[in-house]
Amino acid sequence: MIWVTVAMLMALLALSIPIAAALAALGLSLDYIYSWMPLRLALGEMSWGVSTDFILFAIPLFVLLGELLLRSGIAERMYAAMSQWLSWLPGGLMHSNIGTCTLFAAVSGSSVATAATIGTVAVGEIERHGYNERLFLGTIAAGGTLGILIPPSIVMIVYGALTETSIPQLYLAGIIPGLVLALLFMATVVIACLARPGWGGDKIAVSWSMRWRTLPDLVPPLLIFVVVIGSIYTGLATPTESAALGVLMAMALAVWKRRMSWSMLRESCEGTMRTTGMIMLILIAATFLSFVVTSVGIGQQVTQMITESGLTPVQTMWMIVGLYLVLGMFMESLSMMIATVPIITPVVIGMGYDPVWFGVLMMLLLETALVTPPVGLNLFIVQGVRPRGQIRDVMIGSLPFVVTLLAMIVLLMLVPDLALWLPRIAS
Amino acid sequence: MDRILDLAHRLARYGAWAGGALVIFAAGVIGLDVVVRKLFVLSFGGAAELSGYVLAISSSWALALALLDRAHIRIDSLYVHLPVRICAALDVLGLMVMLAFAGLLTWHGWHVFFQSFRLGSRAVTAIATPLEYPQFLWLVGLAYFALVTALLLLRAAHALLTGDVATVQRIAGSRTGQQDLEEELENARRRAELAEGRP
Repeated sequence: MIWVTVAMLMALLALSIPIAAALAALGLSLDYIYSWMPLRLALGEMSWGVSTDFILFAIPLFVLLGELLLRSGIAERMYAAMSQWLSWLPGGLMHSNIGTCTLFAAVSGSSVATAATIGTVAVGEIERHGYNERLFLGTIAAGGTLGILIPPSIVMIVYGALTETSIPQLYLAGIIPGLVLALLFMATVVIACLARPGWGGDKIAVSWSMRWRTLPDLVPPLLIFVVVIGSIYTGLATPTESAALGVLMAMALAVWKRRMSWSMLRESCEGTMRTTGMIMLILIAATFLSFVVTSVGIGQQVTQMITESGLTPVQTMWMIVGLYLVLGMFMESLSMMIATVPIITPVVIGMGYDPVWFGVLMMLLLETALVTPPVGLNLFIVQGVRPRGQIRDVMIGSLPFVVTLLAMIVLLMLVPDLALWLPRIAS
Repeated sequence: MDRILDLAHRLARYGAWAGGALVIFAAGVIGLDVVVRKLFVLSFGGAAELSGYVLAISSSWALALALLDRAHIRIDSLYVHLPVRICAALDVLGLMVMLAFAGLLTWHGWHVFFQSFRLGSRAVTAIATPLEYPQFLWLVGLAYFALVTALLLLRAAHALLTGDVATVQRIAGSRTGQQDLEEELENARRRAELAEGRP
């Protein structure tokens, strides 16, 4: 039964059937073949249930927040400030890329939005300052992935909703690994530029007076972060409510920066709803699939298979990590998580792992999936904001950061407290 | 046919604007709820319930736009390495499976709505919303999605059968593989021109 399921899923995906339709088709097929009662009769109530889940309302809110910030022009100001503060390091503006991505990740819940926003601002600097183009593009693609690890995070919300894990705890658990990963990315750039000084580009003119003058530009994003995240931990708001507060603040910010207009609002709405529709359809299909998979007993079979394999939990965990790294090369990250998490997470929890820790590990695996060729959404995004050139440049430039991500995964496996310490002292 | 699709696209875009407006409205209500709760230690409640309906309605209205803008994600690791004609056939196949799913959703969505309508079901909350109203709006989105999928399938299948691969790619092709396909089409065109130019 397991292998039939896996083979059908692979076939549907290889045929490039839209993910949502593929998951639904798989669910229906399993229902027809293995179930003694028609599970599809529950499809209507289930779709309505998923579609009205208050937790998931955070998805359109965070997408909208990102769209508004993208159009409010704060990214340019943030970038200018970050280049004043960080470009003295070997590698110059590449550190501003990572720094701005980190800060933007703290207000945006999406890796794609982060890479697109920072990429648009930064890409023009490559030729102006003579950087090694590939490495520079790599910093944007990799830095952008921080968007889902550093709270708020749309993908964490989806993970939390699917596995019934506390979203505030997941948020807390993502903070330290996010900052550590950002530092490791910067260390990667420093090492590369010490080895090849020519890659680091010209010196950027900086001065202390400029530094102090640009500092206020970092305030708006920090303010949004404090409101969105702070309102959760002071008990003022639930994660969804905090997202709504973030949207209201972003709108106020756009009005204050005089970027608000009807056409800006229309574009933001269009982009938001397009993404939301896409995610919600996949979620509906995945919920139905996981209902079928559980009902016909495939989940149980997977657990049984792993128990009988005689592997220790740690060995099993390494296998799961390996599986995701391979899958991540070929699958889009969010759909990969939605399709697999309902089956894998019960197994992982059964082995005694903390679902919060596994959530953070999952984010790191998804981040790797975002920058590993041939299918890596962030690679496509960065390629999309370039005026010309081949996608190969982006792929090669991202490879050093894939190594960094793998190092971070190993680090989190060895030191679970990187993720779990903050949630523990907070509770 | 193309004019109908254009019209459908425009309608889908209006739907997305309306959906976005609902989301912003709901954000406002939630924000107000949080502030009132903090300042006056009382909750007028219902913000969560209302947002749930907003999510269902706005996302169902957005499904058709996502389809027309080719935003529904597809895995194209293999797809990009296939010849253009096979890709076009896969595009049509993808639409067929999508139509089956959309049709099924609409059918079951109709039952959900009809049940509430017949029994006059109300939400088990303080507001006791008559469920038929939000469910009807949700159903409209699902039905529109199914309709647009059917239209797009008709158009793409027609183009495929008449050998108009470029149109299939334009209206139903996978987005990430687009550039590769364009290049391949360009190459194919150049090859055809060379073949014609030869004596």
